[in-house]
Amino acid sequence: MTPQHHRSMVEVFAVASGKGGTGKTTSTLALGMALATDYDVTVVDADTGMANLLFHADLADVETTLHDVLAGSAPVASAVYDRFGMQVVPCGTSLAGFRDADPARLREVVATLAADTDVILLDSAAALGSRAAVLPIVLADRVVVVLQPTIPSLSDGLKVQEYASTYETDVAGIVFNRVRDDEAIAAIAEKASRYFDGPTLATVPESDAARAARRAGEPLLAHAPDSPAADAFREAAGAIDVGAGDSDAVADRFRSAVVPEEP
Amino acid sequence: MKLPRGVLQRQRVVADLATPLSNALDAELTGYARLESQDALLLAADGVGVLTFDAGVPAVAYHTGTDAGGPAALADLAVAGPYRIELFELEQAALEQVHEAGDLRVPPGMPAERLAGDPDLADRTRAAAPARAVGTDEGVPGADEPGAVEAFLDDEAKIAAIRERARDEAQRRAAEWGFEDVSRGDAGR
Repeated sequence: MTPQHHRSMVEVFAVASGKGGTGKTTSTLALGMALATDYDVTVVDADTGMANLLFHADLADVETTLHDVLAGSAPVASAVYDRFGMQVVPCGTSLAGFRDADPARLREVVATLAADTDVILLDSAAALGSRAAVLPIVLADRVVVVLQPTIPSLSDGLKVQEYASTYETDVAGIVFNRVRDDEAIAAIAEKASRYFDGPTLATVPESDAARAARRAGEPLLAHAPDSPAADAFREAAGAIDVGAGDSDAVADRFRSAVVPEEP
Repeated sequence: MKLPRGVLQRQRVVADLATPLSNALDAELTGYARLESQDALLLAADGVGVLTFDAGVPAVAYHTGTDAGGPAALADLAVAGPYRIELFELEQAALEQVHEAGDLRVPPGMPAERLAGDPDLADRTRAAAPARAVGTDEGVPGADEPGAVEAFLDDEAKIAAIRERARDEAQRRAAEWGFEDVSRGDAGR
């Protein structure tokens, strides 16, 4: 299947967890690489306050990032990098960059990217404590909720879902990541499925490969493509039924979304 | 469970219990944490959770509102934060009697997993446990049963309360943050 086949469509996913430590960035890039075999994929580090995607995607040394775009000092195209078969838009890590960035411009960035890609994945902030942190969930068509099979993570994942539905964003599914107890997960996933609106896309085992990949500055699917965790992420991506509206409509929606300036 | 008050070491409101649990471990605290959810909605009864530490390693858990002990008390505590937490230091001798109460014991790594969702901290705590007199997870009630997460998911009233609170918060913030044009509010609920 060629990317051109999908050129008329774009769907925007926020990858969110509500809590740190679930492996959200690892998940975002893994899903992105898996989806990139069938689609033209753009991954955006929308966690502007605590960017870390650049360290996972061999982009630690790049000059222009989403911070510059959100500050109005660079065009979107200058912060888009071809890496691992995807377009990747990293965010910078400097405090000054964060201070100068206007998160409300994210909608314009997404609208611009939407014109020329099939799938946009927004790596979201770990908490829901600010407007900037919630904005990716507001802007997305659907959210992928990354969970660990623990009470705090499930509780926060439910919170993400309620935020999403409040903003008319659907749930594409849930991914259980960093799973250690193979025997318990089936019962937990079954019970959790009663509360989540989307399907359980995959159960990803805790993996030394994921840590090694991060240290190497590579996505898991590039660093350890044959690992069980990589297999599980491919399974998750395969379970996502991509295909929302056409790109013009999405672009219009983002341009018209009411997102006021910071007070 | 009766404990002397002890000497207050820290007092703060936290969203995530990983930091205080980690601090207690690193400081090898002998004493207890008094945990109070800031969200009365999520607890059927008022009350506070108490988690004791032996040289930084969690030993006993109890909830004064639900009268639950051990892993069940952790399940009652493991609602979304924020929590008001106070850490008190005690003499070892003051804890001995409480720590003999088998039904209140929790496996060393369980609070980090259940309350903080932090497997790395749980590993670190378990690694510290044998050398610090609390023992391993083996033989402690509830050590290997994943029941707490399942029990949490079976508690439909608690889940409904978490969702309702999140929905209210999202709608309130939608207005505060100027997202109301894309929010459907109560419609369709």
